[in-house]
Amino acid sequence: MACGSLPFARNRMEHAAIFGWALLWFAFWGVVGGVITPQIYARKDLEISQASFGGAVIGAALGPFSLLPLWIATPKIDNRMIGVAGALVVGIFITAFALADPDNLCVANGEFVISQLANGIVIGIIYGLMALGLTLIFSILGVVSFAHGEFYMIGGMVTYFMTAEWLPGAPPIVGILASCVVTFSIGYIFERIFLRPLGSGQIERPGEYAILVTFGLAFFLQYFTQALASANPVKAQRFFPFPRTEIPLDSGSLLRTTPGNITILDTISIPNPRFTAALLALIMLAALLWFLYHTWTGKALRAVSQDRQAAAVAGINPNSMNTLAFSLGAMLAGLSGASLVQVFSWLPQVGIPAAARSFVIIVLGGMGSLPGAFLGGLVVGIVEAAGTGCVPDATRAAAYIPAYGMVILTLVLLLKPTGLFGREL
Amino acid sequence: MIPSLFPSKRRLQQRRAQKFWAAAALALLTLIFAACAPLPATVGDTTQEEAATEPQSTAAPAAEEAMAPIKIGALAPLSAPGAVGCGEAMRDAMPIAADEINAQGGLLGRPLELIIVDTEGLPERGTAVTERLINQDAVVAIGGGCHSSVGVAAKEVAHDNGVPVVFAVPWNDTITSVQYPEIFRLAPLNSEGSAIDVKFIQWLRDKVGVSIEKVVILTENTDYGIPVAEETTRLLGELGIEAVTFSVDIGAQEFAAIIERVKAENPDMIVTLATGEGGYNFIQQAADAGIGPQDVPMLCNQVSLVSDAFWTNVPDGNFCFVRRIGPPPQLYNDVAINFLTEYQARTGKEAAESFALAAYDSIRLIAQAISEAGSTDPTEIINALENITHEGSLGTITFPINQNNTPEQAGLDPKWWHQFPDPIITVVQYQEAGQDSINAISVYPASYQTGDPVIVGQ
Repeated sequence: MACGSLPFARNRMEHAAIFGWALLWFAFWGVVGGVITPQIYARKDLEISQASFGGAVIGAALGPFSLLPLWIATPKIDNRMIGVAGALVVGIFITAFALADPDNLCVANGEFVISQLANGIVIGIIYGLMALGLTLIFSILGVVSFAHGEFYMIGGMVTYFMTAEWLPGAPPIVGILASCVVTFSIGYIFERIFLRPLGSGQIERPGEYAILVTFGLAFFLQYFTQALASANPVKAQRFFPFPRTEIPLDSGSLLRTTPGNITILDTISIPNPRFTAALLALIMLAALLWFLYHTWTGKALRAVSQDRQAAAVAGINPNSMNTLAFSLGAMLAGLSGASLVQVFSWLPQVGIPAAARSFVIIVLGGMGSLPGAFLGGLVVGIVEAAGTGCVPDATRAAAYIPAYGMVILTLVLLLKPTGLFGREL
Repeated sequence: MIPSLFPSKRRLQQRRAQKFWAAAALALLTLIFAACAPLPATVGDTTQEEAATEPQSTAAPAAEEAMAPIKIGALAPLSAPGAVGCGEAMRDAMPIAADEINAQGGLLGRPLELIIVDTEGLPERGTAVTERLINQDAVVAIGGGCHSSVGVAAKEVAHDNGVPVVFAVPWNDTITSVQYPEIFRLAPLNSEGSAIDVKFIQWLRDKVGVSIEKVVILTENTDYGIPVAEETTRLLGELGIEAVTFSVDIGAQEFAAIIERVKAENPDMIVTLATGEGGYNFIQQAADAGIGPQDVPMLCNQVSLVSDAFWTNVPDGNFCFVRRIGPPPQLYNDVAINFLTEYQARTGKEAAESFALAAYDSIRLIAQAISEAGSTDPTEIINALENITHEGSLGTITFPINQNNTPEQAGLDPKWWHQFPDPIITVVQYQEAGQDSINAISVYPASYQTGDPVIVGQ
């Protein structure tokens, strides 16, 4: 029967105690390892930078069976050791879940698991693109842009209006390019007017100023768009309908496409809009990495993110790089919106959850880290898909979507505050 | 670069220039924003429509007071995550009622002023704007309302302040079952809506011959969605039909993972109880995944009746069944026809959604009650509403269960308190892509049928 007042709820864990004990094991030995290990390492005058995080993961994995040898031998805790322990934790977690709920679709249905994993990866790639702009801005300006979601929203709105209202029938690339131009321009103008004083030391409390001014921009853009475009949801048509294909020709068991869908191995089904959005995200990621690593300007951006004063001594104008970074970050958000306006219904408030998710992703990946943002996006996408797919209670599984990312964020902040790829504080 | 402690003159000039340009840019942006805002102006998060004619100016202050407009408040979701389609239809409809009343000389010889506020479909927002309407704008009564969660919250504020409310669209049973003297409702009850849904499903199974053994319900976590899902599940269970419910937050966007679970359930029918863009997102994403309304019989939420928004957001939504409140167009009375003419002229829409009809009636009902009471005293208005017989666009509206005929005396459930007992509920089906909801085929019940249902996936 149901939990609380939901008589229609069903699908409870068959042996919930097993899963509960496993979680208790993780929590107890994780805390013991995380608290005691750095003390032991410090007493022996050893490196303690990874002791807390490593001790927690190693403790959660095998409890006293791994902690006692660790405390006696006190080896150097490196990423490899943490990785192995982390894999063990994940393995034990999955095993406990499978034992506790053997009939769960995530345990009993391999095709379902692969489909959910594919869903998670596809949406994770898109999340990653969303977060890239935010982390780029933070890495150069040291500012968390609270208007990131609104640039995302504007990117989608411009694409919709270009392709559906102003130039009906125009190819999607026109809308995408227009969204890039508009969001880049808004970012450029805003940075020059409102953020430039940050770099010249004119602002007494730059952190607070940046928060307030980007919040102001967010509200302005949101309500300005609502005034212009109304609050009714809109949606762009799918960009590129797939041709009807079957490989092999008679069965389509390897690959089958319809205008709205692609099916791989008769198992993984990806809707057309998501597929094209993820593809666009990958192309943009590659282009961004090429720009950052193979052009002078990109290298200059990276130099400023590492050391502003040294970069200035080398002839790079940090203020120009600030402007470029903010404009590029805004454009990346806009591009993300442009690619997703064919996936989701779009309205002026659409950026709010997207921005919240981006914040989770960049903290998870490490503030200012581009690979971290992308990996963080993937992790959040997969965790959300897994959570929604595997939580036994059907009435709650999707309602918890915002919580899955927050659980990951909390764990990361507890165990590794600098994130997966963050610089040491 | 280390900033100097003693900036040079040139530096100071630069700073002044930057400040000047920043201020100029802000002023310009504000001007653009103000210029581009639609009229009537949207100020902050509150939309106010002055539907009144200006009161005649007189020399004596007492006369001015006597000519002061009578203010009626109106609730509508005009921003996400609310069902904006519902809110905009109400926003367009209610001023028509106000204008008609003012054109006929107003109320008690005074102009009627309608103040519409944006609830965003959120209970906390509903509480705040209802407080504002009552305590700041001094409205004498409130109409409109779309979301049940807002209705549930707003009724408490209205009750605390003794201000009568005629809810147009909120369905939650508890809005009336608490038997507050101030609360009246035109919309059907949640439980009655569920009953209609289940009777329709039963009709599909028993009369049309559709094989239905399992139904998936996709609901929103609100005071509308959860009770309807519960009641629908219970009633389906009595028919031997299994129901599996998935719930999401209002305004949810991403459904891919939950759609995989829905697919794994292999349902014979899907019922969506998600309003606003959440409903649109689910239906289209389900269609993308191969279990949309063209693949599995799907009862879509009534926001799907906002045809323009529906087809923009759900291009693959053909064959959706949609529950429609109010009389079918062929049974429109003179009030509804006149309203529709004006509504079409003002909005350019071909049809009026049921939300619009109910909202229009809610304002006219309040106005008639004030006229019959001959006063703006809340108690007098409530008494008048209890005894009212109103010819509205939804039909003849009465509230037969009231203080003179309580639910206990009538042997009825308390939910019928101050409840319009006869709203017509039909099920229509889009049978052509891009079809206007007014032209959608009425398939159930038989007495209102204009065509046979198209059954997919059988």
